[in-house]
Amino acid sequence: MIQLKAVSKWYGQLQVLKEIDLQVNEGEVVVLIGASGSGKSTLLRCMNFLEQSDSGEIYLFGEKVDPKESDLNWIRQEVGMVFQHFHLFPHKNVLENIMEAPVYVKKKKKKEAKEMAWKLLCKVGLEDKANVYPGSLSGGQKQRVAIARALAMEPKAMLFDEPTSALDPELVGEVLSVMKELAKEGMTMVIVTHEMGFAREVADQVVFLDEGRIVETGTPEKIFEHPSEERTSQFLSQVLG
Amino acid sequence: MITLLEIFQTTFDEFMQAAWQTVQLTFWSLLLATAIGLFFAFCRLSGNPVLKGMALLYIAIIRGTPLIVQIVTLYFGLAEFVVLDSFTAGVIALAVHAGAYIAEIFRGAIQSIENGQMEAARSLGMSYWLAMRRIILPQAFRRSIPALGNQFIIGLKDSSLVAYIGGTELWASGLGAAADNFRQFPTYLVNGLYYLALILIFTFMLRWLEKRLNVEQRSVRA
Repeated sequence: MIQLKAVSKWYGQLQVLKEIDLQVNEGEVVVLIGASGSGKSTLLRCMNFLEQSDSGEIYLFGEKVDPKESDLNWIRQEVGMVFQHFHLFPHKNVLENIMEAPVYVKKKKKKEAKEMAWKLLCKVGLEDKANVYPGSLSGGQKQRVAIARALAMEPKAMLFDEPTSALDPELVGEVLSVMKELAKEGMTMVIVTHEMGFAREVADQVVFLDEGRIVETGTPEKIFEHPSEERTSQFLSQVLG
Repeated sequence: MITLLEIFQTTFDEFMQAAWQTVQLTFWSLLLATAIGLFFAFCRLSGNPVLKGMALLYIAIIRGTPLIVQIVTLYFGLAEFVVLDSFTAGVIALAVHAGAYIAEIFRGAIQSIENGQMEAARSLGMSYWLAMRRIILPQAFRRSIPALGNQFIIGLKDSSLVAYIGGTELWASGLGAAADNFRQFPTYLVNGLYYLALILIFTFMLRWLEKRLNVEQRSVRA
């Protein structure tokens, strides 16, 4: 579904992604882990072209994407994204946040979009917040709205960029449980996270990055129990304590 | 005091009419200036060096020369090609002038909206311009209201300079009345009070607008 071949990216002199090869299959949950600055967020952002790679090839749904030729606006409708800092639209209420893209991008009828927004709000457990503005929500609630907003475009895959890193510890659980639910439904997901317990539980594939390179890839059991690379075990012992 | 009242009475009809002219002059020029400002704000933010250069040049020229010079130059300059009445010429000159300042106000407001808003909008499949129109500009506009209001107040007072190309607005009629009655001081004072009244009314309207537009954001923080 998402395939990267030898993707590289530079910020000036600094090479932040080094020849990344990665395959994400339909219905699969891939978790990217690694120290900060390892390139995992950049890699994720390359997948919906918020960042453009400097070399290498990216295939989405079996077709090679050339960012100059293909319609990136269309691609982004198919690949939803959830950000660390939510980025809800503060001048719109919760329901309007979710309806915005279906109505103005997909040209859905307002009524239809509203019905779907309601369903999604129920799904993330926030139907009582439909008419409030983002400013009055907690971080966990904001992130759940952000997930609903992305789902409203009915994407084929979802990217999560450290979705719980900006949350107070007691709010992490509510977001993770929504994500687990999504994974259970078979959504294709790529997740950058520091929540190792969550990664172990939901990931089909764990990818460990270090200094812009994929060091090791494998099932959670393999990566967490029997990492074959020295660097992986070092990192895990640091984060797991 | 008696003189002031007397002057107020004798000039009332004339000044009221002229004040209405001032209001119209201000309204049309600022409406046009807002459009000009928005256009040049985008030019300044554009990656295109020609558009950006054009905006920088425009802003530099307008900010670097006195308004009265601009008004008179434009009036006589345009007269080479088309004959414009002083009202139309005044509207254009004031709009071109205020537009430069408003361009900077809008640019600052647009840049103050965090980048994540644009990214979130784009990640949902919105084009740059759709995201600009639906997500960035509504927020930027709200943020620019205090500075914009300030500029509008300046614009209202600046309209007095149209007197010097034969306008019939408030200051022109003040000059005319004083020339007739030879009582400059009380006449100008009364004339100034009309400006003060107009600006107080405008300030009041602005405060109301600001409150209204902030309603959601305030109610949610409670």
